[in-house]
Formats: sequence, C-alpha cells, structure tokens
Amino acid sequence: MATGFLTDTTVCIGCKACEVACKQWNQLPADGYELTGDSYDNTGHLSGTTWRHVAFIENPKKRRLTGDVDLVALAEDVTEPLPGGAELDALGRWAFMSDVCKHCVEAPCQQACPTGSIIRNEFDNVYIQPDICNGCGYCVPACPYGVISQVPHDGRAFKCTLCYDRQRDGLEPACAKACPTNSIMFGEVEDLKQLAEERVQELHDKGYTQAYVWGTPEVGGTGGIGGNHSKFILMDEPESYNLPKHPFLPQEKVKGGVIASAVAAGVLGAVVALAFRD
Amino acid sequence: MSEATSESVQQSNGKVETSHHPETDPKRKDKNYYGIPPIKRAHWTWQIPIYFWLGGIGAGTQLFATVAQFLGHEDEALKRASRYTVLGTMLLSPILLIWDLGRPERFYNMLRILKLRSPMSTQSWSLFTFGNLGGLIAARQAAEDGLLGDNPLSRLVLRLIPARLLTVLVLPFGLFVGFNTGNLISATSVPIWARNWMLMGPTFLTSGLSTALSWLSLVLHLGRWGEEKTLRVLHRAEKAVIVLEAVLIALSLARMSRWSRPLFSKEVAPLFVGGTLLGGIAAPFALLTGKESRSKSVLASVLALAGGLAFRFAMIIAGRKSADDPEAYFTFASGESAPQPEDKV
Repeated sequence: MATGFLTDTTVCIGCKACEVACKQWNQLPADGYELTGDSYDNTGHLSGTTWRHVAFIENPKKRRLTGDVDLVALAEDVTEPLPGGAELDALGRWAFMSDVCKHCVEAPCQQACPTGSIIRNEFDNVYIQPDICNGCGYCVPACPYGVISQVPHDGRAFKCTLCYDRQRDGLEPACAKACPTNSIMFGEVEDLKQLAEERVQELHDKGYTQAYVWGTPEVGGTGGIGGNHSKFILMDEPESYNLPKHPFLPQEKVKGGVIASAVAAGVLGAVVALAFRD
Repeated sequence: MSEATSESVQQSNGKVETSHHPETDPKRKDKNYYGIPPIKRAHWTWQIPIYFWLGGIGAGTQLFATVAQFLGHEDEALKRASRYTVLGTMLLSPILLIWDLGRPERFYNMLRILKLRSPMSTQSWSLFTFGNLGGLIAARQAAEDGLLGDNPLSRLVLRLIPARLLTVLVLPFGLFVGFNTGNLISATSVPIWARNWMLMGPTFLTSGLSTALSWLSLVLHLGRWGEEKTLRVLHRAEKAVIVLEAVLIALSLARMSRWSRPLFSKEVAPLFVGGTLLGGIAAPFALLTGKESRSKSVLASVLALAGGLAFRFAMIIAGRKSADDPEAYFTFASGESAPQPEDKV
C-alpha cells in the first residue's frame, strides 16, 4: 500500500493552515520574519524546517483595466460592456498552491544518500531516519524539486515525513487534516490518481481546459523518476509554481560516467607508459 | 525589483496593471516564481574543493607509481615520494570530509551500507580502501627507510606487507577516488554539473593526474632527488596530460553549452579563466615546451598545482550559481537537455 497527497490547487484559498499545522505537529522551528516584498508569500520555498509551503501566483487573465472602471461591477463579475470602454473579465485569477515533498517513486534523494538514512517506509513514503543521517548534504542538490535542505545548528537534512507518526496511528497527515477546502487530499496513491483524473475531467467540462495533473510519468515525474506520490492539479505552466516540467533522476548516468571515466583512466595509463619510452 | 513593480502599477498612459507576476509584468519576461531558486544548492564549503584536489593528486600519484613499477623503472626516490604522497593525501582527505559533515561524529555511517548508485557511498568506500592499502604500502616504505626503528614491529611490517602486489591492487581504488570526484558532482540536479555527466569524471581524473605529476616533479626537483630518467619522463607526461586536460575542458564547455555561463561570471572567471585556463594550463605548457631547466620546471609545477585547485573551486562555485539560477534549471529540465533514461551511454 502506498499513500500520498493530491493537492488540488484550484480550490486552495491560500490560508496557510497547512503550513501552520505542519509546523505545529512536527515542532519545526520558525524561519524568521522575512518579508519578500513580492507577494503575500513570505515563506518563499520548502526547506528542512518548512515542509509545506503555499505559493501565491498572481495571474489575471485580462491584463489591462482601462477607462472609468466600475469596481462594483467588477467585483460582481459583470461581463457585459462597461461604461468608458473598460475591458475586463472578472478580477482575474489568483492562484495558490500548497507545495510539499513529492515522495518520488524513484527518489533521487534516497539514491544519493550514502548512509542509508533515507528509506521507503511501510507506507511507501520517502522518509529520512534522523538517527542515521550524518549531514553530508548530498541529498540536497540531488533533489530535482528543491525540497530538502540541511537545518542550521542541527546539521542534518530534513523534509516532509508524510506524518509517518500520525499514519502509524491511523491518522491523516496534519496538513490534510487542517485544510479547510480539502485542497489537500490524503489517501492511497491509486485512489488519488483516479480522483485526480475525475477532478481534471470535471474542470475540463466546466471550461477550464488548462487543468492537468502534475507528478505523473508524463509531466513533473519524468526522466527516470517514475511519477510522484504527491500529485498536484495545476492550472498553469509548472514553472509558474516553481516546479520543473521534465525533471530527471540524477543517478541515471552514474554507470555511464563510471564507464567513460574507466576508459579515460586506461588512456591516461597508456599516455604515462608511453612517456617512459626514451 | 521594487522599482519595476511600482512602475508597472501605474503606467504613464493611465493604464493600470494589477500584478507583477512574470506573465503580466512587461518588465519581467522570465517565467519563474519571483526568481526563487527551484532547487537547493550544495552547502559544500572550502573543504570539498581542497579534498577534490588532494584526492586527484593521490590518484594520479598512484597511477604514475604503478605504471613505473609495471615497466620495471626502479627509482627509489620516486617510490618514496609517491608512497608518502598517497599517505599524506589519504590522511588529509577524510579529515576535510568529516569536517564538512553536518554531524561529524557520525562519519562512520558512511560505511554503514554500500550503494553502487550513490557516488557518495562508492566514494567513501574507495577512499577507505585506497587510504588503508596506501597506508600499508607507506608503512612498508617507512620500515625500509628505517623510520620505524629496528624492532619486531618493523621486521613484521617488512615481512608481511607485499608492497609490490599492493601497488597493483590499490590502483583501481585510487583511480576511482580520482574520477569519482567528478562523477559525484554530476549526479545532482545542478544543470552545469549534470549536463556534463560523461566528461566530468575524465576531466577531474586528467586534471588530478596533471597535478600529481607536477607534485612529484616539484618534490624531486626541490629535493634534488630522483634519477635523470624519472624527471625526463615526468616532464614528458606533464606536457601530454596538460594537453589532454585542455581538450577535455574544451569538450566539457561545449557539452555544457549555455549552462556553462556561471564559469565566466564575474566571481568565477578569475578562478576559471585566469587560474585554470591561463595559469594552470597555458602557462605551464609554455614553460614546459621551451628549453628544459630546473627553475622553469619548478615554476610550471607550482602553476599546474595552483591551476588544479582553482579549477575545483571554480567548478564548485559555478555549481552554486547554476543551482541558484531558475532560468538555467527550468531550461535544463524542460525536455531534451536533461539526461533521460533512454539515452545511450
């Protein structure tokens, strides 16, 4: 049995309850009072001390409001011609997306980990054993989604555990529990996959044809990663959410690199041997 | 950033824009999330490039020593210098690596498992093997040199350690330490490193051999040790390996293409262009091609050694900049450029 998340960004309201619930349950330290000045997102990115992060993407459809804009009509979603030739189609869209560890099927961090600290647990989640990790930091640049980082003053690497402790007690993860709109859904990966397809179909039927699932072997879980246990329903290019379209498994080329290097070693040995000839 | 935002809110023509999202802000053509890096960079500080440099010197020294033994070139001074060099590099390397750990007291967990797909794991094991076997060979050398005194232990070392056999056995592990420093950084999500997966190992090994030859030549010249022939061979080999190194770096740059840009940035260019290409390759090559002289040889060796160190620092710092650049990562992870499973080796 594999468990995972399905994060439906179309119903996310950006309340950050998941961020708070995660911090509280997992007793994660604060990251400081940093103001990005870019948006209402002052968390910025996932890290060793932030395992849920809500991205705020401002994305109005009509870019210009010209002439004498009737703000009441605007708020009421009026689409007929407005006085003064103002152009608009509602207030546009403000997208939110609650990011989390992707729990890859073939996890690059797990393959990079030299100590065997990163394992797959009985729920098929990617889990860092904190009593084994020696803080070498090699999983950090290996992650194609920038999820893991080393925690200062602790030295070890941390990331979302998918609330391993709660799952063992039969509870859903803290973020999914706290989510007021059910944007974060927790369950078995197979069920979530079906749910995601149904939901995308529903959105397509309503006219939102740009909706798609990210984290499948086709998009977002590509290049040898084999899909993710944390899937997302997105409405925009993955890059807008700071996600790669076609990430890859960095360890895919380890064998090739070793073969190429062995050939090079042979050539260098021959060059040195030739230098001995007078 | 803040300037662009305030302008886009109220433009001079009276048109109002409500957003500074990259798609809607005419001043921000880049397609990313407020420029926040989508991947995290490696934390590696100065210990790691120095280790890469020392590991390369150890690997190259072992290669030269084994080839010399294989071809029946028995120069006691060369043997002594190479064995103690390997010992020295293999004593310093683990110290630097453990220093760099977030939890240094747990360094032994590196040898908890063997994972062939993790270059960090294979690196730990090859370093462990190379260091221990190299240590045994150096112990034998120390006993031969009388450094262990005349006691039962020393006699035991002389009787039990088959230095000539070990010199052959240790070579694959030494070479692995040398090239795996390159493979280690290329098995990450950092565009500039990952893009060059095929040539990173060969380039690091070749550069390591170049620094090793320079080191041996420097030591033998400064101590006025070694046979005439050893110095001649080192001189020829240095020249040839520097050419190979230049070719491999050129091919790597071609392979990295647009993602090699950090190497030529303001911060890294002095190290890469000045320190590596000019100071570590062009200058030593020019010094080695002219009429041979002791002082020129010594200067060439020093420059090549410094160039090798500069190259490793340049690669690590360039990797940091590459990871911090959303545009580099997103163009890299958008399709054809990233390594794919179906790619041929």
